Amino acid sequence: MTDILRILIAPLVWLAAFSSIYGLHGIICAHDVAGGTFGGAQPRAILVGAYGFAILMQVALIIVLYSQRLTSRSGFVRFVSRATGWVGLVATVWSLLPVVVTTYCL
Amino acid sequence: MKALERHRKLTAIWASESGFRGWFSTVNHNDLGRMFLVTAFFFFLVGGLLAMLIRAQLATPHSAFAGPEIYNQIFTMHGTIMMFLFAIPTFEGLAIYLLPKILGTRDLAFPRLTAYGYWCYAFGGSMLLVAMVFGIAPDGGWFMYPPLSGPIYSPGINTDFWLIGITFVEISAIAAAVEITVSILKYRAPGMSLDKMPIFAWYALITALMILTGFPPLILGSVLLEVERAFGFPFFQVELGGDSLLWQHLFWLFGHPEVYIIFLPAAGVISTVLPVMCRTTLLGYGWIVAAAVALAFLSFGLWVHHMFTTGIPHMGLAFFSAASTLVAVPTGVQIFAWIGTMWKGQPELRLPMLHIMGFFCTFVIGGLTGVMVAVVPFDWQAHDTAFITAHLHYVLFGGFVFPIFAGLYYWLPHFTGQRRFFRLGELAFGLVFVGFHVTFLAMHWVGLLGQRRRIPTYAPEDGWTAINLISSVGSFVLAIGIAMILIDVILHALTANRGLRNPWGAGTLEWAMITPAPAYNFASLPHVTSREPLADDPDLAVRLARGEGYLGTPRQDWRETLTVDVATGRPDMHVIYPANTRLPIIMSAITGVFFLSLLLKFYWTVPIAVVGVALLAWKWVWMLGRTDDLPPLPVGKGVVLETAAMSNRSPGWWGSVFLLTANATFFGSLLFGFAFLWTVAPGWPPPTWFVTSPLELGLGILGAVIGPIAMRRAINSNRRGGGALPGLFVALCGVLAVALACVAIMLRTPSPTEHAYGATLFVLGGYGLFHAALGALMVIFLWARVRRGFVSQTRQAELPIVGLWVSYLSAIGTLVLLAAHLPTLLS
Amino acid sequence: MLSGCEGVLSTVDPAGPAARIIATLWWVMLIGAAAIFGLVMVLLVLPFRARSVRDGEVMQVRVWIVGLGLIFPMAILAALLAYGLIVGERLLPRADADIVSVGAQGRRWAWTFTYDEVPGRTTQNNLHIPAGRPVDVAITTADVIHSFWVPRLAGKLDAIPGRSNVLRIEADAPGTYQGLSAEFSGAGYDRFTFTVTAHDAAGWQAFLKGQQP
Repeated sequence: MTDILRILIAPLVWLAAFSSIYGLHGIICAHDVAGGTFGGAQPRAILVGAYGFAILMQVALIIVLYSQRLTSRSGFVRFVSRATGWVGLVATVWSLLPVVVTTYCL
Repeated sequence: MKALERHRKLTAIWASESGFRGWFSTVNHNDLGRMFLVTAFFFFLVGGLLAMLIRAQLATPHSAFAGPEIYNQIFTMHGTIMMFLFAIPTFEGLAIYLLPKILGTRDLAFPRLTAYGYWCYAFGGSMLLVAMVFGIAPDGGWFMYPPLSGPIYSPGINTDFWLIGITFVEISAIAAAVEITVSILKYRAPGMSLDKMPIFAWYALITALMILTGFPPLILGSVLLEVERAFGFPFFQVELGGDSLLWQHLFWLFGHPEVYIIFLPAAGVISTVLPVMCRTTLLGYGWIVAAAVALAFLSFGLWVHHMFTTGIPHMGLAFFSAASTLVAVPTGVQIFAWIGTMWKGQPELRLPMLHIMGFFCTFVIGGLTGVMVAVVPFDWQAHDTAFITAHLHYVLFGGFVFPIFAGLYYWLPHFTGQRRFFRLGELAFGLVFVGFHVTFLAMHWVGLLGQRRRIPTYAPEDGWTAINLISSVGSFVLAIGIAMILIDVILHALTANRGLRNPWGAGTLEWAMITPAPAYNFASLPHVTSREPLADDPDLAVRLARGEGYLGTPRQDWRETLTVDVATGRPDMHVIYPANTRLPIIMSAITGVFFLSLLLKFYWTVPIAVVGVALLAWKWVWMLGRTDDLPPLPVGKGVVLETAAMSNRSPGWWGSVFLLTANATFFGSLLFGFAFLWTVAPGWPPPTWFVTSPLELGLGILGAVIGPIAMRRAINSNRRGGGALPGLFVALCGVLAVALACVAIMLRTPSPTEHAYGATLFVLGGYGLFHAALGALMVIFLWARVRRGFVSQTRQAELPIVGLWVSYLSAIGTLVLLAAHLPTLLS
Repeated sequence: MLSGCEGVLSTVDPAGPAARIIATLWWVMLIGAAAIFGLVMVLLVLPFRARSVRDGEVMQVRVWIVGLGLIFPMAILAALLAYGLIVGERLLPRADADIVSVGAQGRRWAWTFTYDEVPGRTTQNNLHIPAGRPVDVAITTADVIHSFWVPRLAGKLDAIPGRSNVLRIEADAPGTYQGLSAEFSGAGYDRFTFTVTAHDAAGWQAFLKGQQP
């Protein structure tokens, strides 16, 4: 069962991060947070910070999936879980790139 | 024992009752798989007839064929039937029939559950058919957006048929998904590690997990909308703190994964059939598994692309546009892996291959238009036009129907044991292919010329007449082609023309048995050492029939199988299945009474039906187990296995894990709904907040904490030879404490009909109360089992199962209490 | 322009900057899609010929899965996504001195239009705008979900209960443009349409003053 979890973990973390950042943007826009609750930080900085954190989590997962100590004993599961590990990273970078390049709240 | 004697003995043990009475008591996956497939194809024909009515209506401008009220029912039912009553049940039927065979085992994990799932589908589908026959079918479009589908603008019973009937059918899907997941993980032939699983099993596993997490948001939405319609709880009414966008989020959180739930099994069929048609093995098996997993997860991050025109800000839309373009990558990996397989082997244009070519041509076009509408500005023009109708038919017909036809012709010799005599199939394919493209290709263009979806007619001045007429002609050609396939299949089944056991020269296990399949699948279970067991050992079928595998000698009248470790495929438990029983159909009928009572608003029969289901469920589980210990049993090849009753990770435990996964998704969606309304819905904050009571909160949290601890004590105490009863008693107290705290929420919440806040708290409290009641029932059941001697130091399997449910109750109970109490507690 | 593209409701017969940029996007995507489809069809047909020489498995994975399955789609999709995001940014209703603001309220079965510059003035089923200037339409509903769509001028935006969604439209030239409500709303949906009348500068002034042009 841990092998199944190794295969699923990186995309699952992507889905959680993606939904959270989408929700974060929604909350920021609904309550005009800039300059308020978050102590004056610009919404863009909050979003980019969350983006960076999501990327770091994916990088950490890839490191774990490639590490000799924590990786699976099955060659097949190693291959598939590392592939999905890269899927998680690419998906995070790609799908959340709009926090850097698009207008927010309009 | 000779092969024939073995076959007779096993058939006597495993066969269903003869005649049509056998339909009502069968728990055999062969029978139920066929029943699912036949019923699903029946609904395909009904949905197809509705499509013919649509095209008859739209063939000419100012059509008087059907008025808008009836036409709205026609297109709503066409979509609803195709999505819920055809596509998903076809996957279920194919998986139920095929999985035990390709996995090298005797049956699925929970045979009675398979039967229950079938009857829920049959009864729920019948409810919708009745609605159609009486002209009171749902008419709000297959996605039923409120406020149009709400109590004010759809006061009739039509919408309730959809909400209640579809929920009933979804029980069937959840049951099948739990079953399929546990079966693929645990019920395989010894030696079949994850990397040796046939590719179809990977796709089916991924699809089943998607059903478990993708359907609950819709079930929640349907429950909330029905409660709004019946009791006035304003979840979707913006004037009272609700939001119609909440429905759209919940619906599409289901709706987008749904189309991948439909596509992935078809991709599994392609991955299985294509290599055989090309006389080679699949290119990039590991890549394809990774791509399917990627596709499954990415599909949960696309849902807002159905809402690009709802006014969500550009950054929000951009996330989903980006994810929607990215999803084409794992799709492309699969497509090119398949084409690479063709280049690797030597493809032959036999009949299943024709349909696979039809799939490629059609699905690629659908995928390309899908990428187009993933681009937000273009979608702003194409949304809600015929362009979308054309796109969705290209991906659904191309990506599901053609592969299913390929699979139908591929496995037809297995279903019937016959060889093809009449050659209608090629002509039928031609008519279907040509008819489909003539119907839908130009439809993209009229969409860009401004023709909307769901309009009953149009004017000659619009300039759409020619294309609509051509489209309607094409649809008749398509219909003739499909009818021809139906006739071809019937003729195949009726003509006695004995075929080869493995006519395609395939390497997977389903071809290593007598065809049509005997009730027991394999006379003895194989030991698997590669992905193509039959290719490695062409005489495998004969050797298994001679009893050279596992479990080759029937013991008493037991229906025996074994389970394996999830990753390695090492055998770990011996399982004895229940025999034929009418319990599933009766349980399904009582469940139907529950839903029917809600639909017809006979509220006094609702609690009777609930009690009926609870009693039947009690009997259902009580029928299992023994009052004496069984020693570990030899299963062949020198392997000795403990029985499932002795394991603390029994099949029932696994089933509970995955059912709780679906349940947790339902609860998570409810929390999401709460958070969404709170932060985004206009009309918040509510006029009054729930006033916290530290006593109630403390009582509930205390109960939530001691419940799992007490269960753990009971499990450990039982394992050491002591009694489980003290622990069970304390657990029951904990559960009741949570129940009381939830009742308090329901009683003290601000009026649920005046603001969505009160309504949400009421539902949250009700959810907690339901699970507390369920937990209490389970603990009392365990107490009775212990008292009657079903539970012993070795026969410990039932305790951890209840432990799971009590732990779940603790988690959700705590969250419900915090959601209710925190706002006023913190301020 | 191809004659088959013309039509009062045609998205490929644009009469405003938003519709034009989207129509261009459509043609670019169509050409790209047709090329990709052609490539895939060729790759599907060729292997049916008998071939004797085949690549090894490693080479096959490299060509088909990595090259065609990963690199090829990702390159094209990245370019397409960038194009789409840029167009999306261009369509946003950013603040501008020249904007005219109007309101559009959908209700079964009529659209009621209001004009910020002339409070209290309403028109039914016919929206008046000045040609050549950006117009922000604040879209609302009185009952169920509707959608404001003038295909020749811009994309559509829904009318969601409790919300006001702002769509920027602009007509290049004076004239009459057809509009549709583009969210299914029940039995009268197919006839639920409206028109947009774009006036030249003089006509717009006349309209604002209450004179019929």
